[in-house]
Amino acid sequence: MKKLFTVLLAMAMMLSFAACKDQNTPPDDSIIDVNLEILIEQDDSMINTYSLLAVNDAAPFEDADGNPVSDVTLNTQGADALINWLLSEEGKELAANFGYDEYGQYLFYLLDDGASSDAEIPQATEETKLIRMSTTTSVNDSGLLGYLIPKFEEAYGYKVEIFSAGTGKAIANAKCGNADLILVHAKAQEEDFIKAGFARTLEGQNAERLSYMYNYFVLCGPPDDPVGVKGMSVTDAFAAIAEQGAKFVSRGDGSGTHTKELSLWPQQLGISEDPTSFADYDWYISSNAGMGACLLQASEQGAYILSDKATFLTFVANGGKVES
Amino acid sequence: MSIALEKALDLIFAGDRTLLQILAVTLRMSFASSLAALLFGVPLGILLGSARFPGKKILIVLNRTMMGMPPVVCGLLCFLMFCGVGPLRRLKLLYTVTGMVIAQILLITPIVAGTMEPFAAAIYPDLRETALGLGLKKKKLLWLMVRESTYQIVSTYLLGLSRAMAEVGAVSMVGGAIAFKTNVMTTAIMNYTNMGNFTMALALGIILLAVSLAINITISALQRGTGQ
Repeated sequence: MKKLFTVLLAMAMMLSFAACKDQNTPPDDSIIDVNLEILIEQDDSMINTYSLLAVNDAAPFEDADGNPVSDVTLNTQGADALINWLLSEEGKELAANFGYDEYGQYLFYLLDDGASSDAEIPQATEETKLIRMSTTTSVNDSGLLGYLIPKFEEAYGYKVEIFSAGTGKAIANAKCGNADLILVHAKAQEEDFIKAGFARTLEGQNAERLSYMYNYFVLCGPPDDPVGVKGMSVTDAFAAIAEQGAKFVSRGDGSGTHTKELSLWPQQLGISEDPTSFADYDWYISSNAGMGACLLQASEQGAYILSDKATFLTFVANGGKVES
Repeated sequence: MSIALEKALDLIFAGDRTLLQILAVTLRMSFASSLAALLFGVPLGILLGSARFPGKKILIVLNRTMMGMPPVVCGLLCFLMFCGVGPLRRLKLLYTVTGMVIAQILLITPIVAGTMEPFAAAIYPDLRETALGLGLKKKKLLWLMVRESTYQIVSTYLLGLSRAMAEVGAVSMVGGAIAFKTNVMTTAIMNYTNMGNFTMALALGIILLAVSLAINITISALQRGTGQ
């Protein structure tokens, strides 16, 4: 009996596979249509700065109960090597050119007065080999780190483990002693991190926060733009969205993008991280999810959304067509 | 769907390096955690089902509660234990496959024990009589129980293995989905979805199901040899 059932099941699966194959391929090859378009970009208030911070091995680490922990082990030499390489001429040039071949646009730009380094980078040793980097989804999901890091690993023999989450979580992760360096994009949160003593200054640098590249946040929405934000300044656009009660998807997860979005609403609305602050606004959808998931949600609901440009471009490129 | 299927077939036949790596980690982790959970869970389940001791009912209820523990809670507890400031930080288990296996053992052992317990309770009275009649000692009786439960044990193992392979909450927290190290099928599917690459995500889903089907067919075929 069971044998028969197994055979039947296998046959059913084969048949359904075959049936799938027979179907005509949809004309545009798309699995989903991303019904979103960039409405406002390259506004000065939308600059999105990325900074590197080395984690201080003598930082006031605390366990979950708030008791001090003094013996957290960090790979400071490895972190220095990676930061110095990312800030070197080679690393910066690679970052600046990333994405052009694939998307026809540059995804990241270098700050004119950004941090740079010409420090010599030592080869990895047994103790310094493993580097743990905590970073935001935008630099990882856009493919930037996947493009840069192997080049670094190959040249100097290190092994970099990348943990990516929203900036809030990436910083929290470093505070738990799980990262040797962070690459994030929320100035206020970075400054709190430094003030609490978790960052250290690299030799030859004059600050803990090493800002070196940027891109833009973009306001995206349905292509027909029901609120008519196109051509407005960003703050006017956010005010108009709120006034008309047009749907808006917020990350709501303490990420850099979420932090930026909170700063763009008109003050008197009082929108903050606290869920009760927007409980009365039924148009404000706080989704507590990654950028990709939020873009999808905005696309499905015809909502407006703030995104970093790199993630938006990669998301649309991936969702709109099937890469070979 | 058809594109994803084609993509899945392409990936398999091209022997895509990333895919093979993810698959290898997935299998290594799920086999290790489900086997260990079997090792701990089966004796525990038989004990709970057959032995008589004070506090047994409470233990059974506790175990049943643990069966419903959300993977993310288990993941969070392990994360806090293993993390850089956690009490077990010196073991350096965060973001390692071993750490993921430990989290999954915690998750799956109660399920194994909980499925074995009612089965053991059902066969125990008869077996005990047989054992008394033959004058067998307690140790032998336990062995007899295990032998009589082989079929059930294999089914339970499959349940544990599926749980290990399909689980995402605990492994993403403890493993961190680090590429080429702790990224397993489920976390990779999440990653690709977040990048908007639904085709790749779906292709991985199809492959995961196919692997699961292959394992189930093999083990079920072996199970038929166990006598029931």
